[in-house]
Amino acid sequence: MKSILSLLLALPALAICQDMPLSQILIDGDDWEVVTEGHEFTDGLSTDAEGNLYFSDVKGGDAVYKVDLAGKTSKFIKDAPGISGLQWGADGRLYACVAREQRVVSFSKDGVEKELVKEVRPNDLVVTHDGNLYFTMTPTKEIRRIDPDGKMTVVSEGVVNKPNGITLSRDQGTLAVSDHGGKYVWAFRIEKDGTLSAPGNYMTMRTPASKPEIASGDGMATDVHGRYYVTSAEGLQMFDPTGRMGGVIAKPDKDNHLVSVCFAGKGHAYLHVANGGIIYRRKTKTRGALFFEEPKSNEAPPK
Amino acid sequence: MKFAPFAALLLLGSAFLHAADEDYKPGPEAEKKEGVPEGKVTQHQWTSKIFPGTVRDYWIYVPAQYKKDTPANVMVFQDGGGFVREKGAFRAPTVFDNLIHAGDIPVTIGIFINPGVVPSAKEGQQSRKNRSFEYDTLSDQYARFLLEEILPEVSKSYSLTDDPEKRAICGNSSGGICAFTVAWERPDAFRKVVSHIGSFTNIRGGHVYPAVIRKADKKPLRVFLQEGENDLDNLHGNWPLANKQMAESLKFAGYDYTLVMGTGRHSGRHGGAIFPDTLRWIWRDAK
Repeated sequence: MKSILSLLLALPALAICQDMPLSQILIDGDDWEVVTEGHEFTDGLSTDAEGNLYFSDVKGGDAVYKVDLAGKTSKFIKDAPGISGLQWGADGRLYACVAREQRVVSFSKDGVEKELVKEVRPNDLVVTHDGNLYFTMTPTKEIRRIDPDGKMTVVSEGVVNKPNGITLSRDQGTLAVSDHGGKYVWAFRIEKDGTLSAPGNYMTMRTPASKPEIASGDGMATDVHGRYYVTSAEGLQMFDPTGRMGGVIAKPDKDNHLVSVCFAGKGHAYLHVANGGIIYRRKTKTRGALFFEEPKSNEAPPK
Repeated sequence: MKFAPFAALLLLGSAFLHAADEDYKPGPEAEKKEGVPEGKVTQHQWTSKIFPGTVRDYWIYVPAQYKKDTPANVMVFQDGGGFVREKGAFRAPTVFDNLIHAGDIPVTIGIFINPGVVPSAKEGQQSRKNRSFEYDTLSDQYARFLLEEILPEVSKSYSLTDDPEKRAICGNSSGGICAFTVAWERPDAFRKVVSHIGSFTNIRGGHVYPAVIRKADKKPLRVFLQEGENDLDNLHGNWPLANKQMAESLKFAGYDYTLVMGTGRHSGRHGGAIFPDTLRWIWRDAK
């Protein structure tokens, strides 16, 4: 009888996953540095192919802001307040959760808005290379999908208590969603037709001693080695591709919420985090996975 | 060439460690012997509901001495594919054949289960590996998977005991802590634990067991631990220290346990070399 898992069996079981300590990511002696400040509640960190950073200020801002590679902050799209999630698609459009107006929209590069859906409660989103947009609806325990033709469907309901941050595996076959009202990051298989299956509470986040069941998982990112990053009350948590925690990076400002994370900057090698009114960054030894690019296999981590 | 002496030292060091691990080899009881009846190994696949969306291979070993009207003892193995392999470190079917024939261990059906994977939907994508989730998580989920899915399925074809004293569970590394977790969560179902190079470390919180054991009412378990002085020391913890902590806690709480410390690394070699003795120890009063 031929084994469907013969490929897996060919490997010694003990060598299936390499250890991934924080020392593979962080550079000794480096620390967080301020990228931009003076905002009220930064969120929606996102990047483009060049490594420019895009973000919003959900409470105090009225635009999508851009930080270019020289570090200069400007308004990229004006009159766009209340955005909580941003991501560039493979079609060159910038997709956005307009939480305040309960809409999901996209912008052309010159700022022309197109409404995708309205009367929704979007929090954060991710867009696959083939143009499927998945967004979280935190209050209603839903994950919804907008397919390339613009049709919206509910793809998960009641699985994640407060679905919040959302990202993909580098090969875009797995969707990962953080729980703001629990302690897990959930993994789903993305089926060929874009629906979700096989939910698993794959990663267990560290929780505060005062709230042992609530990690307050928020924004997520993925790197080229398939590691997952999730912001939380305890800091920026990192997990290896098999769901084992690799470590927790302390918040730059422990008194403010850490809500969004993105690899941006030169070579997409800088971790950026939204931590209240300030966005911080630090250089890493890794690079971010970019979902507007063709899906790719995980790169082998350095020994 | 200022790095040369350091490199040489490294090479020497690794050669030394390597030799220590390589010295452990399967013994004569892991070889097929003339006149010893051979059990039958069959391969199967399972799609789980308790671990939604996962599929896995498993193998059933049925000794030649098995009789349908006498419920057989049961021994479950994590990462089963490695234990069942003919040229592996353990060669469990052959060892079972020899020891059952000699009357050293009871007639035991072996169930060798691989960890689950969620197969990818599209070509070129990676399957989601569920091994760490299933083995390293401290919960009764894997025990329920055995008791509600696998054992009932195997019971359709074979007569298995439901006496927890006659059910053992064995694994290496994360499969080792999984064996302990299954018996710890369900001593009504499994009471014999064999852990090789067990990951009683903080992969998913398993480092707490030594502390938990000391402050819990004693469970009716028999625990065999094998560990190597050159085992892992990484972000999750230190394996030799963790296993010594486990052993000391089991001693403190009055358990029937043993720890065999060797000089090996994170491999099944030492566990495989002593596997016949391990089986005799775990089944010592159950012939």
